[in-house]
Amino acid sequence: MIFVTVGNDFRDFSRLIKKVDEITPHLPHEIVIQRGYSRYRPQNTKHFDFVPIDTAMEYIKMSELVISHAGIGTIILCKEYGIPIIILPRRKKYGEHMNDHQMEIAKILEEKKDANVHVIYEESELERVIKEVLKNKEKYTPIENVGRANLIRTIRKFIERGVKE
Amino acid sequence: MEKKSKIGLICSAGGHFAEMLQLWEAFEGYSVFLVTYREKTTVNRKNTYYLGNIVRSPFAFVVGLIKILWIFVKERPDILFSTGSEIAIPSFYFGKFLFSAKLIYLECSAQVYQSSLTGRWVYPITDLFLVQWEPLLNQYGPKAKYVGGLI
Repeated sequence: MIFVTVGNDFRDFSRLIKKVDEITPHLPHEIVIQRGYSRYRPQNTKHFDFVPIDTAMEYIKMSELVISHAGIGTIILCKEYGIPIIILPRRKKYGEHMNDHQMEIAKILEEKKDANVHVIYEESELERVIKEVLKNKEKYTPIENVGRANLIRTIRKFIERGVKE
Repeated sequence: MEKKSKIGLICSAGGHFAEMLQLWEAFEGYSVFLVTYREKTTVNRKNTYYLGNIVRSPFAFVVGLIKILWIFVKERPDILFSTGSEIAIPSFYFGKFLFSAKLIYLECSAQVYQSSLTGRWVYPITDLFLVQWEPLLNQYGPKAKYVGGLI
């Protein structure tokens, strides 16, 4: 399955959904779109507006590939589960976000070169990259999240100190 | 018996919410409550209070603030933790000045080089202020800490 999500942002990101809907007939995979607040209604693809976050997490776990805006929630989960993800950042110039910080995220992720993260900047690249990623049958192993462990430890330590005081 | 802290977890929906879930382990064993926005993605969670998005309208803002106050009066938090966004601003100011709560703030991993509006608002009163990218440290004062990021 391929899971597509564009996040909780109220701004329209039909650009990505429309492109996926165009590609759906060319692929044998089941594709499911969480279209969020975007207005475009897919014609060829199964879709819904939102599911609770735990359900979305299950969809991501079951997927062979996730396609998403450069939203950090989805990216973190894909890295945790070892699922390949293709990211198309929302752009300010199209009214898809209030600023271009998704471009910053996209660029810094490109620099990090995580094996399962694929960044594209134009929706026209999507079909080619989907096919490339799906052809590569190598299994991505979930990467241990050191940053997360450190954050949990730091926060926990602070709380425990608070209890004693 | 040692008194266990009551911890209030504050976040808006979407990525901020996902980050909160990633850090849930940090609060294991403590009594916690969550304050977030009512969205289809956040529904039906245990120990959770829901607000309408406070930046949607001035009316929603006022109602949201009253609701936060009411929640805090009921829950009496000792510590507040937030992953953003703006829902943290009134929560932290109420928490600090009306309930003497200790404040922990984690700047969202979407902020790589530039500080967020929420981060700038809560930085002066926050006790433990964490950022998720090293370059962001020079946007804040010496209190800001980098120990790693979720991405």
